[in-house]
Amino acid sequence: MDVIVTNNPLVSEKYKSRFRVDFSDTDLMGVFIHTRDLVHKGYILQTHPLTGGVKPNETFYKTVLLSEASAELDLQSLKIIEETILTAEKFTHKNLPEQYKNDMQVVDLSLISPVLEARAKQL
Amino acid sequence: MSKIKVVHYINQFFAGIGGEEFADHKPEIRDGAVGPGMALTGAFGDKAEIIKTVVCGDSYFNENLADAKKAIIDMVRSANPDIFIAGPAFNAGRYGVACGTICEAVKQELNIPVITGMFVENPGAEMFRDKLYIIATKDSAAGMRDAVPAVAALAIKLVNKEPVGASIEEGYLPNNTRVNFFEKERGSKRAVDMLLKKMAGKPFVTEYPMPDFDRVEPNHAVKDIKSATIAIVTSGGIVPKGNPDRIESSSASKYGEYDITGVNDLTDATYETAHGGYDPVYANADADRVLPVDVMRDFEREGIIGKLHNKFYTTVGNGTSTKSSKQFATEYAQKLKNDNVQAVILTST
Amino acid sequence: MKLEVGYIQIRDIQTADKSSVKDGILYVNTKELEALALEDEHLKAVCFDVARPGESIRITPVKDVIEPRAKVEGPGDVFPGVITKLNTVGSGKTHVLQGAAVVTVGKIVGFQEGIVDMAGIGAEYTPFSATYNLVVDFTPKDGLTAHEYEAAIRKAGLKIAYALGKLGVNVTPDEVKTYEYPSIMEAIKKYPGLPRVGYVQMLQSQGLLHDTYVYGVDMKQSLTTMLSPTEIMDGAILSGNCVSACDKNTTYHHQNNPVIEDLFEEHGKTLNFCAMIITNENVYLADKERSSDWTAKLVDYLDLDGVIISQEGFGNPDTDLIMNCKKIEETDTHTVIITDEYAGRDGTSQSLADADPKADALVTAGNANQVITLPKLDRVIGTLDYTEKIAGGYAGSLEKDGSITVEIQAITGSTNELGFSRLSAR
Repeated sequence: MDVIVTNNPLVSEKYKSRFRVDFSDTDLMGVFIHTRDLVHKGYILQTHPLTGGVKPNETFYKTVLLSEASAELDLQSLKIIEETILTAEKFTHKNLPEQYKNDMQVVDLSLISPVLEARAKQL
Repeated sequence: MSKIKVVHYINQFFAGIGGEEFADHKPEIRDGAVGPGMALTGAFGDKAEIIKTVVCGDSYFNENLADAKKAIIDMVRSANPDIFIAGPAFNAGRYGVACGTICEAVKQELNIPVITGMFVENPGAEMFRDKLYIIATKDSAAGMRDAVPAVAALAIKLVNKEPVGASIEEGYLPNNTRVNFFEKERGSKRAVDMLLKKMAGKPFVTEYPMPDFDRVEPNHAVKDIKSATIAIVTSGGIVPKGNPDRIESSSASKYGEYDITGVNDLTDATYETAHGGYDPVYANADADRVLPVDVMRDFEREGIIGKLHNKFYTTVGNGTSTKSSKQFATEYAQKLKNDNVQAVILTST
Repeated sequence: MKLEVGYIQIRDIQTADKSSVKDGILYVNTKELEALALEDEHLKAVCFDVARPGESIRITPVKDVIEPRAKVEGPGDVFPGVITKLNTVGSGKTHVLQGAAVVTVGKIVGFQEGIVDMAGIGAEYTPFSATYNLVVDFTPKDGLTAHEYEAAIRKAGLKIAYALGKLGVNVTPDEVKTYEYPSIMEAIKKYPGLPRVGYVQMLQSQGLLHDTYVYGVDMKQSLTTMLSPTEIMDGAILSGNCVSACDKNTTYHHQNNPVIEDLFEEHGKTLNFCAMIITNENVYLADKERSSDWTAKLVDYLDLDGVIISQEGFGNPDTDLIMNCKKIEETDTHTVIITDEYAGRDGTSQSLADADPKADALVTAGNANQVITLPKLDRVIGTLDYTEKIAGGYAGSLEKDGSITVEIQAITGSTNELGFSRLSAR
C-alpha cells in the first residue's frame, strides 16, 4: 500500500480516501524525518523529496510518496532521503510569510498530484 | 603607508646550514630575509618587508613538537609581524608538515594571517589545505620563481583584508570552500572544450571534483559462524575508565587496544566513552550500549558464535580525518588477521 | 535541416504611434500591444515600461524573458503549437531583434522570483542587464487560480514577443548565420573522422511554475526524444518555469541556447554535432529511471563519442543529472555535465544533492548561495514587496537605505546551467 507523508492539508484532504496519508502538522524537516523512518522500515521512495525548485527554507509544505515493500532496506531510497536532509540543512532558516501559506499548499499539491493521479489509476 | 611586516619561516636547508645531517638544528631567529626570503622581498617591492627569519631543522621540529612550537611562537610574537609566511616546502614532506603545523599554531596563538606553499602531494598539503592558504607549487625548488609572486600577492591581500578570490585565481590549493568568480569563457564553451579533451584522451580538469567515494564491497558471509572468532571494534570512543591512552574527544590521533579477557559486562565503574560528539550519559552508564560485550558473551555461551576475540579496538570518530581513520584501521586490521579473527562487528554512534 | 538566422541589432526601444524597426530602434505602440495582451479574458490590466542597459532600474519579480523573433521563410512560425499553428519549424529563414527582450513581471503566487538590475553590481550577474527590455507587468482578473494566471501571463508574453518579432520580417539583418543540421547519414559522410557529439538537454517538468513546453506539449508527459537544434532556435521549447530564478532557463535562454551555439561553432571543424536529445526532470522516481534509461539508449543507439548534459533547476534534478551521466558513461560515451552549486553561504557545504565518481568532467556555473548586497537603484519596475520572499532573500533583506542583501539565486540567470554566463566557482 502506498503512503503519502505530508504536512499539506490540501493534499491530505484530496487524497485521504484513496491513499494512506500520514499527515502531521510539522515543518519540512518533520516530513523528511518521518519519511526517513519509513525508509528505515523498508518503505520505498516513489517521489524525490526535494520536489520543485522552491528551496527547503522557502516553503512550509512538503509531500512525499512511498510504497510499502519487504523488510529489506531500499538503499537508493535511503541515499536519496539522507541527501535530502543534508541539502535541507544547508539552507539558512527564514521567517516565511504566513499570508502565502495557501499559495505554497497549491504549488506543493501541483507538484505531487500528477504522480498521485497516476498511482491511483494503477492501484 | 608603512610597509607590511613579515616574519618568514624556513628550514635548515633553505637557510644554507645544510641537509639531512643538520636537520636537528634548533630554532633561531635572524634579522631580515634569508635564502628564499630574498626572492619574496623582490616580489613584495615597497609593499612589504621581511623583518625577521626563523630557521628550524625539520627533524628538530617534528621530534620536539611542543618545544619547537613554543620557541618559534615566542620568536614570532617578539617580532610583532602583520603576517607569517612559511616555506614554500615544495615536495619536502617533513618540511611541509612543519610549515603547516607552525602556520596553524601561529594563526591560533597570535591571530595573524598565515600562508605557506607546497606541492599538492606533500603530506602537509593533505593535512592543512582546509585550514590554511597553501600556495600550490611545483615538486621542487625549481618552482620557486612561480610560487613567490603568488605568495606575495596573497599575503598583501590577507593583511589588507581584501576579498580572496577562488583557488584557481589566487593559486592556493583547493580547500573545500567554494568561491565564485568570473571565468574568461562562458560555461557552454568550457564544456565543449572539456569534452573535446576528454574524447581525445587528453588531460582535463573538472571544475568540481566529486566528493571522495571510498565504497567497500561487502565481504563474503562467514561460512561457519558457530566456530568463528569475532572481534568488536568501535568509533564510539569506549575506553577503560580514566581513558588510559588519552584518546582525544575529537579529531582523534590514535586508537586504543584493550584486553577484555574475562570481562562479561561493561559497567559504569569500569568503562566510559571518550567521545565528545554525543551526549555521553547513556554510554557512560552502560558502555555495552556502544560496544556490546554483554550480548557477545551471551552469544558465546549459547554457541551462536565461536568466541569473542579477547581484544577490542576503539577510537573516537568525531571529526577524525578519513586519513587517520584509514591508517588506524590498516594497523589493527593486520593485528586482527594475525590473531585469526574471522569477522568484526563495527559499531558507531 | 538548414536555418538561416538574420540578426537585426537593436540599440534602443522607444514608444511611438506606430510600431516599427528603423535604424536599429524598436518603436512600439503600447496601446496595440495592450489590446493584444488583453485578448486573454483572464487579464485585467497590463502596463509597459522600458529598461535600458546602465539605467538605474531594478526589475522584479521577473517571470520570463523572451527574445522577439519571427520567421521570414520556411514552414511554420515561431512558438509553434502555442502561439502559432503547429508545424515543424527549424528550417528556412528567421529574423531576430537581437539586443531586445520582452520581460514579463507578475505576482503569480506569494513567493516570488527573479531580480534583473540594469546597473550596479547586480547587473554583472544577469545577462538581461545588457538587453533593451520591454517590461510588461500584468494584473489578473479577480478569482483566477494560480494555474490560469500562470498560463495567461506566459502566453501573453509570447504573443507580445512574436508581434515585435514580426516587425523585423522586412528589415535587412546586420548579420546572417546559417546553421546546418544534416541527417545522421549525411553528417557521417560529410565529416568522416570527426568525433560524433550529442547534446542532452534536461528540461524542468515538475508541475505548476516548474514546467517546460515542447511544441505545446507539457514535457513531463513526454518520454526522452530528439529534435533539431534549429527547431529550438525557432521557439520549439518554451519556459513555463518561474521558480529558482538563478538556474531556470527562460525562453530567451532556450532561443539562444549557448551549448547549441558553441557546438555549432566547432561543428565540422573539431566535432560532428549530430544529436540533440531532450529529456525531462519529473518528481516521480520511476520517471527519472525511465527517462535516463531512454537517454542512455538513444546515445548508445546513435553510437555517439561524447555528449554534453545540461541541467535545469535545483534539488531533485541533481538526481536526474547523475542518472543520465552515469548511464551514458556506462555506454562507453564520454560526458561533460553542466550544473550549478548550492554550497551554502560560506561555500563549505556539499555542492550537489547527488554525486557519482563517473561524473568526472563537470562545468559549474557557480555557488547560488553566495550572498550579495545590491545597491538601491532609482526606479523599481514591478514591486519590491516580495523581495524578502524571493529565493535567496530573507527577512531583513531589504535595508532601510533601499539596498537589498540576497543570495545570488534571487538574480535571474545568475547561475544558468546551460553555461550561458561566465560565473563559475572553485
